[in-house]
Amino acid sequence: MLEPLATSLEKVFGFTKFREGQQAALTSLEAGQDTLAVLPTGAGKTLIYQLYGYRHQGCVLIISPLLSLMNDQVDRMRMAGFKRVAAINSLTSYRERQVIMRHLGEYQFLFMSPEMLAQPQMLAQVKQLQLSLLVIDEAHCIVQWGPDFRPEYLLLGAIRTQLQQPLTLMLTATAGQTTRQEIAKQLRSQPEIVAESVDRPNIFLDVEQVADESEKQERLTALVGQLQGPGVVYFSSKQQASDTALTLQQQTGVQAAAYHAGLSSEDRFKIQQQFMAGQLDVICATSAFGMGIDKNDVRYVIHYHLPADFESYAQEIGRAGRDGLPSVAILLYASGDEQLPLMLGQANRPEPETIHRYYARPQAFSEDDAAIALLAFYKRHGISEAAVVNLFSRRERERNRALAQMLKYVCEPRCLRQNWLAAFDEQSPAHHERCCSPAGMTPDFEQLGLLASHKSDPVAQDGDWVARLRRLF
Amino acid sequence: MEAADLLALLDQQQFRRLRVIENLLREKKTVSTLYWGLRYRLLYLIALDKKMARGALDAPAQVLIKRGWAETGETPDQVRLTAAGATEQAAHAEHPQTWANWGMLDLLAARQRLLLAVQVVSQYAHSAKRYYPLATDLETRQAVRNWFHQSKSAQLPEQLFDSLKSSLEKLPPVTAGVVTDLFTGHGQPGLTADQLALSQERTAWSVTLMQFDGVMQIAQDARESDHPLSALFRPLWQSPVTRSAQQTLAAVSQGRRVEQIATVRQIKPGTAREHLLEAAILLPLAQFPYDWLLTPPMRAAFAASLTGPIDTWQYTALPQALQDRYTFFDFRLYAIWCDKRGVGDA
Ligand SMILES: [Zn+2]
Repeated sequence: MLEPLATSLEKVFGFTKFREGQQAALTSLEAGQDTLAVLPTGAGKTLIYQLYGYRHQGCVLIISPLLSLMNDQVDRMRMAGFKRVAAINSLTSYRERQVIMRHLGEYQFLFMSPEMLAQPQMLAQVKQLQLSLLVIDEAHCIVQWGPDFRPEYLLLGAIRTQLQQPLTLMLTATAGQTTRQEIAKQLRSQPEIVAESVDRPNIFLDVEQVADESEKQERLTALVGQLQGPGVVYFSSKQQASDTALTLQQQTGVQAAAYHAGLSSEDRFKIQQQFMAGQLDVICATSAFGMGIDKNDVRYVIHYHLPADFESYAQEIGRAGRDGLPSVAILLYASGDEQLPLMLGQANRPEPETIHRYYARPQAFSEDDAAIALLAFYKRHGISEAAVVNLFSRRERERNRALAQMLKYVCEPRCLRQNWLAAFDEQSPAHHERCCSPAGMTPDFEQLGLLASHKSDPVAQDGDWVARLRRLF
Repeated sequence: MEAADLLALLDQQQFRRLRVIENLLREKKTVSTLYWGLRYRLLYLIALDKKMARGALDAPAQVLIKRGWAETGETPDQVRLTAAGATEQAAHAEHPQTWANWGMLDLLAARQRLLLAVQVVSQYAHSAKRYYPLATDLETRQAVRNWFHQSKSAQLPEQLFDSLKSSLEKLPPVTAGVVTDLFTGHGQPGLTADQLALSQERTAWSVTLMQFDGVMQIAQDARESDHPLSALFRPLWQSPVTRSAQQTLAAVSQGRRVEQIATVRQIKPGTAREHLLEAAILLPLAQFPYDWLLTPPMRAAFAASLTGPIDTWQYTALPQALQDRYTFFDFRLYAIWCDKRGVGDA
């Protein structure tokens, strides 16, 4: 007989109480039931599989699409006292991979990217393992169709079958009914659903319409100069994130830095740590930022570009105000902004004509092109031309629907929160003055207590270098 | 790399090929690239920017040309400084102090090990047990872990501070400051190269070069066996010559002929000769058997025909009789030998 969940929680983490959703998910898993846990960012989703892994023999295999994040997760697990943890993905060096493969059977927790698991040799090895639990992290990636879309996620259903349908935990921060159904369908599972509301009452929602790009930049500069930090500004382009960080630093005197997948892991580490240590007022980021960040006092999240769908928007604004204090999520919109996500999506979407020509003569195409690489991927996995055409048009409909929903939010005249929660099939509390400010209305940031009272301390560079070296030791 | 960085790598007399500089940085080590790297005195750049895109130097070169600081030669790939460019270079360009030895150490690995070791000891000095380690490769993590377990003591932080301080004091204060600010430690995330570049109004590349300068100085000092980092750096000292070329060189030094070596080692004679040229280029004069490979009559014949600056020498311009007697390999080796002795560079 296993010890009670609460006893394990206390032993492993020293906590006496579960957070909302954790217990329900664990109870469902303990009953042998596949589980889809829709819990907001910061709700402690990882604890669910960590505790399950602690309580059961065998290996917990975690499939995660975020390469840069995977090593962070491994570090965190090691810090939490779990020793037999490893990660394999395309960033893992050949030598390191060899070492991990030799000890594959010994790990309690194994993180893997979907493309790694999709490789036949790897899958053969994994089949030999005794899996206690299969975890699909960021499960909404199965249905999302942004530039970060991972086609390998579509194979997970088949892979899961090959692994003899192990007990499966699907994790995501945000998923409406449609997304939930799609996840279950793709993974060939009928999961128990454990969901908490995505609403974050302490985050004031604001949409601001601007005339054009230059007015948008001005507005951003004004907001960053005015609002209490720390804050995060999200961009769709790495270049724009870098450029804006520089301009903001020069024009407003705030401590700003860029964070995106184009940085070296060392630079990403330093920027993250500076942010955590309160040395930065604002981070100009792409969607690569945020997952590994445990920072409770983010006061604002601004979106400079229109997000491609509500799921990512909810994830990203969810990084504000984890401490429960007043915070704000601002979406800046100039008419025509929807063109960018449309273009980004289309860049990866081949025309039926191209699909046809590719299937006829694959050798005539270069896989350097993202769209062709995607086709090559499907072809290699035996998906027929007709099915691929079908898949792409379904995806496109899905994507257009998601974008239209985003646009409806931007144009919402009355209550943004109601609009937002409706997208996740939730009821919203009645609108009030601390709820939201749709486009056209002027939010009173002072009244809301969001204006800056202090700036962060710049990174200390005082004293001579010997003194700075001294401080290290 | 920006225009100011490229400026430091050019010369007023010698036309330098951008492609050669690029190939050195990207570690595309053909014999021709190495030879010209030797002639440009830029071999220290080898492998320092493996991710550099092809053609990445074209834009900075254009900037220099537009400002009137550089001009192109027979092809747009060949660039040299104008008088104004040379003045600019003399006024602003900085050079690493320790560059001559960069080829002897796996500098990139040494940098990784140093950063992680400093972080680990800094956290240890502050009795911090839980922290995020810098993300590095497995080899670095293992090396630093083993080193730390063997060197851990109450005195370690103080010893490490003293030795780092004494190494950095040998460098210009700006360099010492940059190296210090790039470290990560307890309560100090450290700055990125871009952040330092911005605050100091210099380029990110020059910041990176300063860091390498610091790493090299520290590694050199760590060759003393009582230095706290001695064991951590020891395995990273290496011959600049590839293992395969070392084997060929060893066989030649035992008196074997190139053809014999090629047969025994099952490589093409041409490959064996390339090995020898690589070794000649990368090793000091005394470590290569010039006396055996360049016979006195050969030297006399080349000396009679090849006059003027080395860079103007061309094999195909030699008298036909000489070309019949001696190969391009002999010719190139002779040029390397002259280069190493400072002959032909007036
Ligand atoms: Zn409202």
